[in-house]
Order: sequence, then C-alpha cells, then structure tokens
Amino acid sequence: MAQQTVRQTIKQVKPILSLDKEEARKRVVSLYKAWFRQLPYIVKQYDMPKSVEQLRDRLREEFNKHQDIKDVRIVDMLVIKGQMELMETVNMWKQKGHMMAYFKDTWEPKPKDFLSKFLSGKD
Amino acid sequence: MLRTALGKALKGAQLSPKHARVMSQQPKKPEQIEVFIDDIPVKVDPGTTVLQAAAMVGVEIPRFCYHERLAVAGNCRMCLVEVEKSPKPVAACAMPVMKGWRVKTDSEMTKKAREGIMEFLLINHPLDCPICDQGGECDLQDQSMAFGSDKSRFTDIEHSGKRAVEDKDIGPLIKTIMTRCIHCTRCIRFASEVAGVDDLGTTGRGNDMQVGTYVEKMFLSEMSGNIIDLCPVGALTSKPYSFTARPWEIRKIDSIDVLDAVGSNIVVSSRTGEVMRIMPRVNEEINEEWIADKSRFSYDGLKRQRLVTPMLRDNTGELRPVDWEAALLTVAKQIKNAGANVGAIAGGLADAEVLVAVKDLLNRLGSEALCTEHTFPMDGSGTDLRSSYLLNNGIAHAEEADFVLLVGTNPRFEAPLLNSRLRKGYVHNELEVALIGPKVDLRYQYKHLGDGTDVLQQLIGGGHEVSKKLKSAKKPLIIVGSEVLERPDGAAILAVIQKLSASTKAQEGWKVLNVLHKVASQVAALDIGYNPGVDKIRENNPKVLLLLGADEGAIEKADLCDNTFVVYLGHHGDHGATIADAILPGAAYTEKQATYVNTEGRAQQTLVAVTPPGRAREDWKVIRALSEIVGAKLPYDNLNEIRDRLDEVAPHLTKYGEAENANFFKQAQDLAKNVKTQLDCTPLDVKLKDLSDYFMTDSISRASPTMAKCVQAVLKQKQSKF
Repeated sequence: MAQQTVRQTIKQVKPILSLDKEEARKRVVSLYKAWFRQLPYIVKQYDMPKSVEQLRDRLREEFNKHQDIKDVRIVDMLVIKGQMELMETVNMWKQKGHMMAYFKDTWEPKPKDFLSKFLSGKD
Repeated sequence: MLRTALGKALKGAQLSPKHARVMSQQPKKPEQIEVFIDDIPVKVDPGTTVLQAAAMVGVEIPRFCYHERLAVAGNCRMCLVEVEKSPKPVAACAMPVMKGWRVKTDSEMTKKAREGIMEFLLINHPLDCPICDQGGECDLQDQSMAFGSDKSRFTDIEHSGKRAVEDKDIGPLIKTIMTRCIHCTRCIRFASEVAGVDDLGTTGRGNDMQVGTYVEKMFLSEMSGNIIDLCPVGALTSKPYSFTARPWEIRKIDSIDVLDAVGSNIVVSSRTGEVMRIMPRVNEEINEEWIADKSRFSYDGLKRQRLVTPMLRDNTGELRPVDWEAALLTVAKQIKNAGANVGAIAGGLADAEVLVAVKDLLNRLGSEALCTEHTFPMDGSGTDLRSSYLLNNGIAHAEEADFVLLVGTNPRFEAPLLNSRLRKGYVHNELEVALIGPKVDLRYQYKHLGDGTDVLQQLIGGGHEVSKKLKSAKKPLIIVGSEVLERPDGAAILAVIQKLSASTKAQEGWKVLNVLHKVASQVAALDIGYNPGVDKIRENNPKVLLLLGADEGAIEKADLCDNTFVVYLGHHGDHGATIADAILPGAAYTEKQATYVNTEGRAQQTLVAVTPPGRAREDWKVIRALSEIVGAKLPYDNLNEIRDRLDEVAPHLTKYGEAENANFFKQAQDLAKNVKTQLDCTPLDVKLKDLSDYFMTDSISRASPTMAKCVQAVLKQKQSKF
C-alpha cells in the first residue's frame, strides 16, 4: 500500500526537461561538450593566466562534483544553470575576476573543537 | 615619630575625617544640624566640614591639598567658598559647619577666590604640560581649565624666569620634578601618617618653600608608589613609566594583584600589547586606595624571562623549542606510561582554574599526589576546617582591633596593606601590638616579646606580662605568619595559638585567630583540596611531576628519581623551568581571566589586559588539551564551563568580591588536642626582614629590572650615613 502511494507520487512529479535518465544524461554530455569547445576562447578572451589543460581539469572537476546526483529533476536544474553560466561567459557578461574565482585557493575551515582551536591558537 | 605622638595626644580631635566619622558613631549620636549648600538643605553631624557637607548633596568643591584619607592641612586654599554673613571666604576642607550656614559654592566671591588662587599657583608652575607625565590626568590642568581665569596677568618683564627648584633623588621608583610642586603636602602627610616613614618635609618659607627629604636619601617605604597617585601635579611621577604613554591612549582593565596574598585591586593600563603601568583601584574591604610597591612596579618583569614557546629537553640535555603538538604528545606519552604515578606541585601564582583542572586530570588518572609548594600543618583538623588557614577577621577589620599579637610574621613586607591597617589602628585607635619573632621594623612601636616558642607557652600559662592584656582586650587579634607554620613543629604552634585564641574574651562575632599567607594561590589550593607541602611527592617518587609555576625550589632534582619526567607549566623561566624536561608556557596574571582567593578567603578575578606572549596559552587550557591527548578528557571547553566546575567544587570560588566566612574554631581546637608534635626550641624566624628582602620574592618580581634596582638602591642607602 505504502509503496503504491510512493510510486504514485513519483509519477505525479512534473518533469523539468527530461522524461528519463537517458535523456538527462544526453543533456549533461552536450553541455559538457559545449563548455569544452569554448575553453580555448575563454582563455584568450578573458586573458586568463591558465592553460587550456588546466581549464579542462577544472571543468571536469566541476562536473564530477555532481556525479552522484541521481534525481533527474536536479540534473536538469544543474544543466540549466550550467547553460546560463556558459551564456554569461560566452557573451562576456563576466569579467576576469569572475572566471578566476573558479581557481580560488582552498582555505582551511575554522577549527571547531577545543584541541584544534588550542593548537592553532585561535579561540 | 613626632607627628605620630602628637596624633596620639590629640586623639579625639579631628585627624582623618574618614576615621572621625567611624568613631563618632560609637557614642550616642548628637543632634544633626542643618546647613544650606547652594540653598539645598542638608542635615549633617556636628563636626562635618563644609567640603564634606557639600559632597553629600553632590557639590564637589575643588581642592588640591585635601585628601579624604589624610589629615586636613588646609594650605592650598583652592577650596575657598563663600559663607553668607562671613566677611571672608572660608576654606571648606578645614571649616566645620555651623547651624544654619548658607554656603555658596558658585557665587561671585567664590569664583574670584578660586581664580586668584589659580593665578598664584600658576605664577610659579612651569608651562611644561606637553612634556609632563601627569598631562591629561593632572588636577592642576583640569582645575585651571574649570576654575582658572581666562587670561593671564603674568608678564615676566624682567625675564627673571619662574621659580626653579632642584630635583631630589628619592630612589629608583619616584621621579621628582620639584619645580612643578604646588606644596599641597599630600606626600608629606602620606609618608608620616600612612607609610610611617617621616622622611618628607618642607624647608624654607613663602616663595622659598621646598618639599624634600632635608638630606638626600631614598624614600625607604614599601608603599612609596602611592605618593605618585596622591600628587595632584606632575611633581612626583613614576620613574619606570616616565615618557612611555599618555593617559588617553591607554586601555585600562580592572584586575587583581597576585604578588602577595592580600589580593589588592588594581587597574592594569596597557598600550600596544604591553603593560604600561599598574595603579590601585579603590576597595574599602582590602586595599582602600593604596597598593604596595611590588604590586605597582614589578610589571616590567612580565616582559622579561618569559617562556614563549613549548620546549623539550633533548638527549644532549638542552631545552629546545618545539611546537605545541610535539610538546603535548611527548608529555602525554610520559603520563600514559606513568599510569597513576603522576604528581603535581602548585606554586604561588597558580589560579583556581588551573588548580581545579589539574586536580580533575590527576584524579581521573588515579593519582592523589596534588601538593602545594608551601606547607601547612596537617595534624589536628589540618586543612579540613577553613577557619584554621584563613585571615578570619578580614583585612579591613584589623584597624578596629585593640590588641594585636603577631606571631612569626612581618606584615610590613608579607602584606604591606594589612600593615597599613594595623598602623592606622595604632595611630588613630590606641592599638597595642606585640610581636613574637625576629625584631623587625614595622614602622610603628610594638612590644617585642622575643623570638622563642617558650613565649607562646608562657602566654598560654597566663604567666606572661602580655597575657592579661590579651585576655582583657575586647577586639584582640592573633596574626600568625604562614611561614612559621611551615616549620616541623608548625602543628604544635598552630595548636597553641588556637588554644590561646579560644582563651580570649573577644566580643561576639570577632575572630581572634588569623593566618597570614604569603602567596596568592595558597588559600584557593587548600580550598580545592590540595595537600600542603611536597612530602607526598618525596614519598611517592612520581614518574611524571607537573610543576604549576612552582619556583621556590621546594623540590630539587636530587629529591626525585633519575627517570622522573618533570613538566613545568608557568610563565617565567625561573627555578622550576631549569629542572624541567618539558616546558609548557602559560599566561601571567595580566594575561588571563582567572580566579584567586586572598588570605581572608575572598574570591576575586583578574581580567585579560594583554594577550599571552608568543605561543603561551591560558594555563587551564593547556591542561584541558593535554587531558584530551592523554585520553582522560576533561568536560569543559570554555571559561564558563570551567567556572561551573569551580562552583561545583567550592561555591565560594565564583562568588567574586565576597569573603566567605569560616567557622568551627571550637571544633578545630578540639581536634588540635590530638596533635602529638612538641614545640621546638629553635627561634621563630621570617624570611623578609628588611626592605631589601621585600622587592624580589616571586618569579615575576625576580625578573623585574625595576625591582632589582630597588634592592640595589636600598642596599646603597644602608651604606649612607643618613
């Protein structure tokens, strides 16, 4: 009984773009390709002190960040956001700083427990 | 001593108005009289001065020479006010009010009088405010702004210059620029009334009048710094503080002094992360508004000889700086290997937080070897009854006593502010003092009963000449120095004194037995449950020994096994650090918010004025971090949580400002009957006999160059023929 209700709820959810997983996957791949092809132009246009290879790594990293997401609706949502981001990049609506923000240094999180606070000397 | 004798002869006449008020309450109250200050009616006791009556209705009359804790001099004339129907203005500080007087503190005549006085004062006062250390907190500056004339008539047509006075050399603490002196004589009165060193005085008259020491000599007092605060102008300023900071750029933090067991209230002034100076804060219960010189001037010791990084002894025997992680891991490994065989010794500057943390940690490890560096007899009731180790009657009440017996103590150097209370009682209250112990200079007369323990026996027997006085006194005090209780026969001495106290006929609520401690941590440590004395450590021979700022050399390397791992947690590289295998740098009293309990059982807290130097951390946090690595995690992470734990252990530790009473004198005396130890025949002795012994007694003052200079200066003064 309970399972039936769940199944019904799933059925009733309105799709955003894709009707199934396969379709969503195709959209992701095409977004990836579009970004991938744009990378050499991005390096030039934004005068980034990075190589195309570095940008490719970063691109892959960005996609891999969401590799565990199984929900089709969320995948679609992320694809739409990715497309918006790409459009902003291609149309030069962004500036160099916005692009370089992808390469921000990683910073250590503030110590939370007593011992790490003590060792770092921060209260 | 002439002034003192005169004071005693004039008893009943007005000496110190503050004191007079206390005394006037005892006989039946005379009728109050009504006076009008600026048309505001106020009822006052007869004998009240105009200035005091004005203060009652919130009118402050400007003054230079008047000080509420000193005798009235009435020589600056700044407090002149108009009284209706009086042809001349009257000096408010010295004139008692009469019935129906109408005082006008803001009339034309008053204003004119003040302007005139300011003009006269400024004729001979140099215009060096920009280079004067008093600038910004100078009474003369403030009052010339408020009450002075807006224009000057002073034109030096002859170009003869202002009056110039030669500077005096009165020691390494006080800088004198005597040209700035306005002859208020506050310093002279302080020296003769409070400090009891009648060296300051005036020579010459009129324009040639000079304040000085007659012959060039050092101002040999343990309270000398107070004349800096008293001086309304920049004539007496602090030598170590000179030209270092301005009052408006300083951050002031209220704190507590920990260099003796009195717990004087202080204000720590800091700038650029350094302590610039220490000044007293008013607390009528403890230090009034004075502090001792060691408390005031030893702050430069906080910058020298500091432990700024954790250190470990390497295999060549050298101490090498390491980071906290390495130090804590090494210490934790040693503690783990030692199991329950761990001991701790608390030194004189340890605060209650770290004492509790260390006790919790060691108890978790299964050890009970927690000791204090200073011994206290454990026979009889030992430290179980608080009344046997406190200054039960309180510091403030000491001035009311009518007979004081000092046993094996020199309060002048062990607790200068208690001594000033006793002196106050001696000067104003016909207090009689007797002393058993070495003959020392207390700056008041006392009866020296000898230094043998046989005197105590005679007193008990009632055969001594003083016994009668002790028995007949209504408010007798027996003050025992903690030092004589550290002797092997300390228990017997305490038992005799308990018996002696019980034999007096003190009035209800008056506590005769008083123990005077020498270090700030002792009462808190005993309250928390530390064992006094290091005997336990000697017996147990622990594998790891934790020293909490224990620098007095109570335990030597030779007393321990070869493989004992000594950990020192403290702030100065002193005796304790030299024998340590690992050093964990802690914070000094100006760098932490910490609890101290003074000798009368009053919990007070210091506040953070500056941050600990280098990698030093607050002491209890070091223990907390160590506990986590050892695997016996203590359940408190912040100050509030450890304060809750303090509250659990002993609730009075967090009742700041209140002296927690102790009782059960009778029970303690009953238990003392079981004491087996016999009185020794070695004479009672104290360590601090002379002023030169006073200045360097703990790790902070030993590191202080100013204190070293003081010792030198006192020794040099001794060579001088004056």
